[in-house]
Amino acid sequence: MNVKGLARDAVLTAVALGIFVVELQLPALTPIPGVKLGLANIVTVVAMFTLGWADAAGILLCRLVLGSFFAGNMMALLYSAAGGTLAFLTLLLLRRVLAENQLWVASVFAAMAHNLGQVLVAAAVTATPSIFVYLPVLLVSGIITGLLTGLAAQYTVSRVGRHLRK
Amino acid sequence: MRRAAALCALLCLALTACSPAPAKQSSTIFAMDTVMELQLYGDGAVLAESTRLITELEKELSATDPEGGVYAFNHTGTELGKSAAELFLRAMDISRLTGGAMDITVYPVVLAWGFTTGQYRVPGDEEIAALLEKVGYTKASGFDLPQGAMIDLGAVAKGYTSDLIADLWRQRGISSGLMNLGGNVYALGKKPDGSPWLVGVRDPFSDTFLGTVEAEDVAVVTSGAYERYFERDGVIYHHIIDPKTGRPAKSGLASVTVIGPDGTLCDGLSTAFFVLGLDRAAEIWKSCEADGASPDFDVLFVTDGGEIYITEGLEGSFSPTNDYDTGDVRVIRRG
Amino acid sequence: MVKTRTWIVLISALLLLSLGLTLWLWLHPTGGRTANIYVDGELVRSVDLAAVEGEETFTVDTGRGLNVITVSEGRLRVSGADCPDKVCVNSGWLSGSAPIVCLPHRLVIKFADSSGGPDAVAG
Repeated sequence: MNVKGLARDAVLTAVALGIFVVELQLPALTPIPGVKLGLANIVTVVAMFTLGWADAAGILLCRLVLGSFFAGNMMALLYSAAGGTLAFLTLLLLRRVLAENQLWVASVFAAMAHNLGQVLVAAAVTATPSIFVYLPVLLVSGIITGLLTGLAAQYTVSRVGRHLRK
Repeated sequence: MRRAAALCALLCLALTACSPAPAKQSSTIFAMDTVMELQLYGDGAVLAESTRLITELEKELSATDPEGGVYAFNHTGTELGKSAAELFLRAMDISRLTGGAMDITVYPVVLAWGFTTGQYRVPGDEEIAALLEKVGYTKASGFDLPQGAMIDLGAVAKGYTSDLIADLWRQRGISSGLMNLGGNVYALGKKPDGSPWLVGVRDPFSDTFLGTVEAEDVAVVTSGAYERYFERDGVIYHHIIDPKTGRPAKSGLASVTVIGPDGTLCDGLSTAFFVLGLDRAAEIWKSCEADGASPDFDVLFVTDGGEIYITEGLEGSFSPTNDYDTGDVRVIRRG
Repeated sequence: MVKTRTWIVLISALLLLSLGLTLWLWLHPTGGRTANIYVDGELVRSVDLAAVEGEETFTVDTGRGLNVITVSEGRLRVSGADCPDKVCVNSGWLSGSAPIVCLPHRLVIKFADSSGGPDAVAG
């Protein structure tokens, strides 16, 4: 990676972190743990579709680790790492079958994969399989928030995608 | 598509523009021989500060820890720390208000029953009579006690601790929080959604709660025979010792809950009222006019027969669970 | 490439399915009475008491010692522990709001009701 690419990825990581930290300050939308907007994922989706998987993975990893430090909750890293990995793989797979103007679809499925990952970890950590009853309601929230972040990412790519790729 | 995206961006912006609601912070602390749970909405550093405060107070107020402040006072006559001294004087006030039904000098008798160690025994009549010689808040002059007398601030320590933590939280700008110090509850402000905190009152006859009270900037403290007891030869001996008889109090009450802004007072009164029984406790409550100058509190009594009596301030705030009928609840009035 | 309309249909179907499942689970609560087991304030395990059939026993290693917990339909007890005071074991079967506490092991078992109980219980 050249210096320009490195600087660009660093800026994108900083943007993702900024969004993440601001979202931390927002009041919880629902009393259900695990339901959040996940606005920082806009950056992940944008990076995946404009820069490719390697840059997207780097940005996501840095954001997850630094974000957990900022939130002061290392347990959250475990949850978000599991969710993040599944979501990332979903993006990677869908990228091949989606047209440029359909990238918001990938975001929806990535959000659902993220929720699945969270529930899997929660069930493993607390040794409580019955936690899976939360999955449907998390999926509902995942589809809606995934759609929101996906549309935001779509908008971003159509506006600044060209400049990012340069 | 573009319009939808713009709408979404606007929505995100609108959400970020909201003033940040403080996050819920909570912690569990094992101190003063019990479990304490603190939760507040705001800065997590305040919780760490609260934990330090509790640890300091535990040390200063402990009568059982050989390194504790009260232990040193009892055994070597060392001067009490600032908080312990303040609490000593507060306890003396409560003793005067209740005619000695709550008395910190009853400690030698409590020791004889083994309630501090769990090595339970039933002391003989003569032993109790000899120990009672040293008991009595009137025998103290200032901080000077007769030879052989000892104090235990345990009956007011948790209430006092809740007051100090609530003060700390207010100083740090916390406007919503709840603490449960081993059954001594203090509710600071309202819940973040604007409704009052809902505090359950333990049912002395089962392991559930018998009802709830709405709580805002008040302590809710319950004393009951069920908390600590032992059985010998078919007789149950509980831990609330009547300072007059030196034996577990038998007043016809199963539990007493006191609700008011002063946690120390509520803690001490719940013990005193349990010892005094319904009628004498109600007299004291009536004598404290709700004029702002006298102590401000309300009481919920549960008798051995399972009847519930509440003082008039709890009307509307107390709601019994389904196991109890509203008709079973009697209201005590001043008029 | 798959048509955008196909994706919209697929996502809508998934959304409806999840919504339906959520609604169904909400209308058919699994008893709701959950026992949450905490060590040093951290949730280590939670048990849906209503879903237990017969009796189940498991051991919680608290790091300070072991507590053996037995659950049966709607209730729970600490059936054994290597703590000195055995207060937790002597608490017997519990199904209400009073928590079981093992102070030496810093173990707390609390009952959570899905139907919104009080914020704290005095006593």
